[in-house]
Parts: sequence; structure tokens; C-alpha cells
Amino acid sequence: MEELDKPCEYLSGVCPVWCPGCGYYGILSALVEAFTELNLPTKELTLISGIGCSSRLPYFVKAYGFHSIHGRGLPIAQGVKTANPHLTVVAVGGDGDGLAIGGGHLPHIARNNVDITYLLFNNAIYGMTKGQFSPTTVLYPVTKTSPFGLAGEAINPSALAIVYGASFVARGFSVKKEHLKELIIQAINHRGFSFVEVLSSCSSFNTTDMNVARIIKGLKMIPEDHNPQDALEALRLATDQKKIHLGVLVRNQRPTLEDKFQEMRHKARGKGAANLEALLAQFA
Amino acid sequence: MHSDLILRIAGESGEGVITIGETLCKIAAREGIHIVTFRTFPAEIKGGACMIQVRLSERRIPYHGERVDFLVCLNQEAVEENLPNLKEHGVLLCEAECELAEKNPGWTVYKVPFDRIATREIGSRISKNIVVLGTLSHLLALPKETIEKFISEKFARKGKAVLDHNLDALQRGFDFGQRHLAKKDSYRLPKGSDWKRLLMTGNEAIAAGAAAAGMKYFFGYPITPASEIMEWLAVHLPKMGGVVLQTEDEISAICSVAGASWAGGKSMTSTSGPGLSLMSETIGLLSMAEIPAVIVDSQRGGPSTGMPTKTEQSDLFLALYGSHGDAPRAVMAPTSVSDSARVTALAFAVAEKYQLPVIVLVDQALSARLETVERQIFERLPQASRVHAMPADGVPFVRYQLGESAVSPTAVPGTPGGEHMVTGMEHDERGNFACDDETHTAMTVKRFRKLAALESDPLLSEFCTRLGDEDGEIGIVTWGSSAGPVEEALGVAKAMGISAQAIIPRVLNPLPHKQLKSFFSKVKRIIVPELNFLGQFATLLRSTYRVPTISLTKIKGVPLAPSEIVEKIVEADSMLSARSKKVYGRVG
Repeated sequence: MEELDKPCEYLSGVCPVWCPGCGYYGILSALVEAFTELNLPTKELTLISGIGCSSRLPYFVKAYGFHSIHGRGLPIAQGVKTANPHLTVVAVGGDGDGLAIGGGHLPHIARNNVDITYLLFNNAIYGMTKGQFSPTTVLYPVTKTSPFGLAGEAINPSALAIVYGASFVARGFSVKKEHLKELIIQAINHRGFSFVEVLSSCSSFNTTDMNVARIIKGLKMIPEDHNPQDALEALRLATDQKKIHLGVLVRNQRPTLEDKFQEMRHKARGKGAANLEALLAQFA
Repeated sequence: MHSDLILRIAGESGEGVITIGETLCKIAAREGIHIVTFRTFPAEIKGGACMIQVRLSERRIPYHGERVDFLVCLNQEAVEENLPNLKEHGVLLCEAECELAEKNPGWTVYKVPFDRIATREIGSRISKNIVVLGTLSHLLALPKETIEKFISEKFARKGKAVLDHNLDALQRGFDFGQRHLAKKDSYRLPKGSDWKRLLMTGNEAIAAGAAAAGMKYFFGYPITPASEIMEWLAVHLPKMGGVVLQTEDEISAICSVAGASWAGGKSMTSTSGPGLSLMSETIGLLSMAEIPAVIVDSQRGGPSTGMPTKTEQSDLFLALYGSHGDAPRAVMAPTSVSDSARVTALAFAVAEKYQLPVIVLVDQALSARLETVERQIFERLPQASRVHAMPADGVPFVRYQLGESAVSPTAVPGTPGGEHMVTGMEHDERGNFACDDETHTAMTVKRFRKLAALESDPLLSEFCTRLGDEDGEIGIVTWGSSAGPVEEALGVAKAMGISAQAIIPRVLNPLPHKQLKSFFSKVKRIIVPELNFLGQFATLLRSTYRVPTISLTKIKGVPLAPSEIVEKIVEADSMLSARSKKVYGRVG
């Protein structure tokens, strides 16, 4: 039974505040199991979030946690990783947090290739504020703030991440816990920015968009022979209207932000000494 | 021979006006002369009127000077614009074709065909400013070898042809002066002395002060007039093992600072008013989560986009109160370039020791001005560090312990046993969200007690200065770069026989209550000069101390002039004299 108990090392003991039937329990479970399998020391594990139901997650995990402000988890995670590259940095947030208010940060964290993992919990609704549409709402157009339907088209999170140049993009489903766990393990192991979209149903305010039965019926695992460096094919899979493709869409290697910082330090040092005395000499 | 020389060079942006001024500064600084400058920036990238004023002195000077001794004008527009500022016995050096609408009999006027020399004789219009420098070196007896050396250093990179052009321009300007301009005035470069000085701008002093304070992580977004802080650090911080990253916006900058600081690194951002507005929410987070951060705001004319290239001190309220809720933070304001380095270092000491955000307020004029700075200040910068906990094994770490000290020891990620939550939500001692009234009250009090402790911290003891006559009945309280003209005005008032004094706190939150209360008990009138419309600092003083204030405000985009302050002092003095029927002798 020891194996079963192990994930609990990563639980803080704080009881999750999510509604009964919320898909996020599955994601939390997959996450702590991934941590267990990776055998990550909790002292070097940081979990950073914005605001929303999903952003409450850090409280429930034994780690260094940072529950910040709406939409800003990613730049905070960038700062954490910059100051201490040895840390494992995982950012979590929802579709509103990451694609509405915080949507301006994603392209830049992706292009900087910050070596962090970002789990975007996509439930296509604002749950914490009790049922307003989000940037990914499609099939449940009549919400509290859209009584006569939606004005805009929905955003496809995985497609965005691909176009923004994230070096790892995957899509999972909260119900497929084992599969999700494997994706998280790969995402954390990936050197660079890892984006994982996790589809998850909101049991209180939108059971339509991420309807479990519908997704199970429509899902298709990305075949092993998919070339994760083929961004166009990845984009085709991510935007497929007929099937919901789950798995690793994109994986490529390129220098991380920390690699670039090292390079900059190296170049800068080639141009002069490194102490204050030398820096002040230019003003003498 | 004058011990003090106020010189202004005016022309069109792109004519090399600023280069003339800066070259003069570098030459004078090497001679050990004290320097304070002021320069204007046109709003256009190319073209538009611009000027630099350089004050050179044998002694330390707090201000760039009001009316000028020596005016150099490169075109007619510059003459018309600047001539009213020339002193009665001043000198005008201008382009030969310039005409003077009126001529004061005390003036000495030298006309030189700078344009013709540059275009016809040298064949390079852009070398005109170096011709001017050559003529100036004749008129002011500048050390020509030093200028030659300086020009060689400056143009060596651009190849021999360009360097030769410029050396030729310098010689021709000098020769023209020697041949055609008989020296009729008494202005010379003031005498220098042997002291270890640096010549730097306010922005450079902030950047170097931060680097000296051990700042490692800088995140920022370009904005006038603060960009030079990031630009200097981008070149130099990586040499010291640090990092500079230009982020996608100011929100990302301050959030990255929050993350880097939480992870244990001394971190900073710099911006101007629009950026500080965007950062306000995160400042509340830093306050709530008790994370150190230094935010420099180089103020410009506001609100909104306002006047980006003009100076103002109108972000005080934003710095003090910006962010929702009760969000304590420290606010500081240096008064000069050298003070900018010291106060920036103090900001890090306070942020780290008290685990809170610190906002440093400078302004466009201070950011851009060149000034000679005592080298030694960089060896005596204030220092303090974060209190780190030693978490016990197996016991949950208590991040926000309520105890005797308002500052609770922290653990940075990576510390064994220190796992904890930080959060923007109200939280209990462990960092778990808690919305009950008792916790909210206890934690709010804890956060504000840090400011109370800071107020009496010896770290701040050198950061509130008194100037002028200790018995003066007229008191002036000012902040930031307005301290320079105030110091100058006190000297003028004293010469007029009016006894006045000033107090200049560098920390505006928490205010130095003891010093201010003692000051208010001694003076009978309180004048508060500052560069904004509302009288923000005066409002703060009135609401904090319930004292009547005479607000002196200005929103013309330029620093206060000492004469404007003197005028208020005289006004206050005559009111007092009328009351006590006391008659003061007047001088000058």
C-alpha cells in the first residue's frame, strides 16, 4: 500500500475549496502523482498562480506556493525562475486568467522560452465569479453576462501556444488522469516553456463545453508517429473541429531564457571587469 | 575672476548642443570643478528647440542657476528664446547672422560665423558644434589639450577621417576666436580643486547605486524619462552576474520583480507615471504578501501621457496611496544626483529589512541632469538585509508570524522545511487564506507596524536634513529635486536679511514625525514648494500634522526657480513683520 500513500507527501493538508464533481480534483491528483514519480524535493518546488478556481491549487500542495493576482502568474513565474534556475517552477491558472486578463503575457513567456511548466485549466467559464463566459466559451453561449449570446469567437488555447512558439505544447483531459500525469511529467522534464492545456468540466456553471461524455466520445489520442516539430501539423490537430486530439502536439529544443542570460553575462564580461570600482571608472 | 559660471547653450535638436554642454562638463569635471546642469528635451525625436545649462563652480552647488552669465546661441530662435535670461553683465556668443531685438548696454556680444566655418572651411555641417567648442575654449580659457584628448576619445571609434575633421573644427573655432574676438568680458572657467568626483546623471546614479546595493534582477519597460536606468544596467549588470530583461509591459516588469524577489534576489524596476499606474495592483500584492521590491518612478508631466519630456512632481499621491485597500509601502525622494545613489541604496536596505515595496520618486529634470558626485558616497551606502528563518524539520513553517517584531523571518524557495504560501489574499500566519475580521485586523496592523518601526530606524537618521538659520521663523518643507532651488533661495533670503530655514525629508512615507514636529514647533510660517498643481505634499503635511501651509506650486514643466521661492519667503516675512512690527534690513 506504500505506493498509494506516496502522493500524499505532496498534499499540504489544506482541503480544496472546489465544488463536488469539479474536474480540478483530477488535475490536482495527476499533478501530485507526477511530482511523486519525478521524486521532486518539495523545497525546490514552486507553484505559482493567478486568480480563479484553478489558481487556488497552490494552497493544496506542499511546496513553495504563490497565489498572486489575476492574470499575472506567468511573469511572476518568470521572475522566480530567473532568480533561482534550480527551482522547478509550475504555473497554474484558468482560461480567464491566462487568456483574458493575462493574455498579453503568454506570447512573451513563450518566445522567451522560460523553463517553466504552465498548466492552463480550460473549463470555458468563469467559475469563481459564478458563471460568466470566458474566452473559450462556445457551446454554452447564454451566461450571466451574455444573456443574448456571445459577441466574440472562442480562443483555442493550444493553437495559440503553438503560434506563439511555445517549445512544448500538449493537451490533456482531467478525466484521463494517467494520460495527464504522463503529459505533466514530460512537460516538467522539457527544457523550456511547456504549455499544457487541460480540458476540465465545471460542474456548477458550464457542463456543456467540456461535457465529459461528449469529450470522451470525440477525443482521439495523438498518434505516436506525430512529429512534434511539425508545427503546421500540430496546429491542424489542435484546431480540428471533428476530433479532440489529446497528447503532445509540439516539442522542440531551443535555448531557454536562462541560456540567453548566461550568454549575455559571458558577452558582457568580455567587455570589462565585473566590480563596482570598474563600473564607476567610466564616470571619473 | 568669478568663482561660479552659469553657461547656457541653445539651438536646435540635432545641432550638437548637448554635446557641447556635456563636453564642457567632462572637461570641467576633470579639473575638479563642481557641476550641476539642466537640459530641455524637445518632444520630437529629431528637430525642435533644445538647450543645456551648465553651472560650474569652485564650491558645491545645489542648483543649475537661474539667469545665465554666458549664453551661446546657434540660431535666431535660440537668441529670441533665451536672451531674456541673460544677466545684466552677461555674455552672448552667437551665430554671426543672429540679430538682437534689444541690447543691454552691460552685455558683451561675440558673433562668429559658425555655420560658414563648418560648411565652407571644414566641409562638414555637423562639425559646427565642435567649432563652437573651439571658440569657447578661447573665450573661457579652457584647457585645449584636455578637449583634444576628449575629442580623440569620443571620435576614435568613427575612424581617422571623422576624428581629423573634428580636431580641425576645434582648431578653426579656436583660431577664429584668437584672431577676431578680443576678450572683453571677465568670465573664465572657475578654479578646480582636487577631490575624488564622478560626473553622472540622476538616472546613472540610480542605476549605479542599485548595482552597488547588490541588485541582481532588473525588469523594466522603456519609458521617458526613466529608460536610461535600464539602458545603463543592461550594459553593466550582466558583468556583475545580474540580469536585465525588457518585459512586454510594466505589469510584467513588476510581477517579474515580485517573483525574483520572492525567490531571494534583490530586484528592481524603473518607470514613469504611466508605468507606476499600471503597477499599482502589484504594489498592493507586494505589500500584502510582504515581498521586498524597489520601484523607481521618474516623474514627468501628467496625467495620462501628459508631457513626457517635461518635469513634474505630481505622482506623490500615486506613490503614497496607489493600489486598492490599505497597502503600506515606503516612499522616498532623493534631492540631487548624489542623493539618488544613496536613496536608491537605502530603498534596497529598507525593502529587504522590512519586506515591503519601496517607491523612489525622482523626476525628469533630476533624471537627466549631469552633476559632479563625491566618489566616496558609493563606499558609504546604507545596507540592511532580509531576515531569514531557520525552519525546523517536520514543523510547518509559519511565514507571517505575529510577534513582537512586525517583521517575520522569511524562507526563500529552496530552503528545506520552509515550504509556505504567499498570497494576495488576506491570510493567517501560515499564509492560508482567511477572511475573518480578527485575522484581517491583526495582519493589517502587523503590516502597518513595519512602517512605525521603520520611522525610528537609525538607517534613516542621515536622510532628513535641516538647512538655513536654526532660529528662522519662516520654515520651508520640500521634497525631491525641489530641495535644490530651496537651498539656493535660503542663501538669497539670508543675504536679504531674512531668516528662514528648511527641512528636507528623503523618506515621505513614513514621514520623520519627530523631526517634522520639532520643526513645526519652531517656525511660524510653513512654505511647501513642489512641482504639481494640487500641492500634494502640502496636503499630506496638513492632513498628517494639522498645520497651516503656504503651498507654492508650479506646473510649467521645469524646476522651481529660487526667485519664485524667495518671493514666497519675502511675502511670508512681510506678513510676520507686519504682525510684530519688526523691520528687516534688506540687501540687494
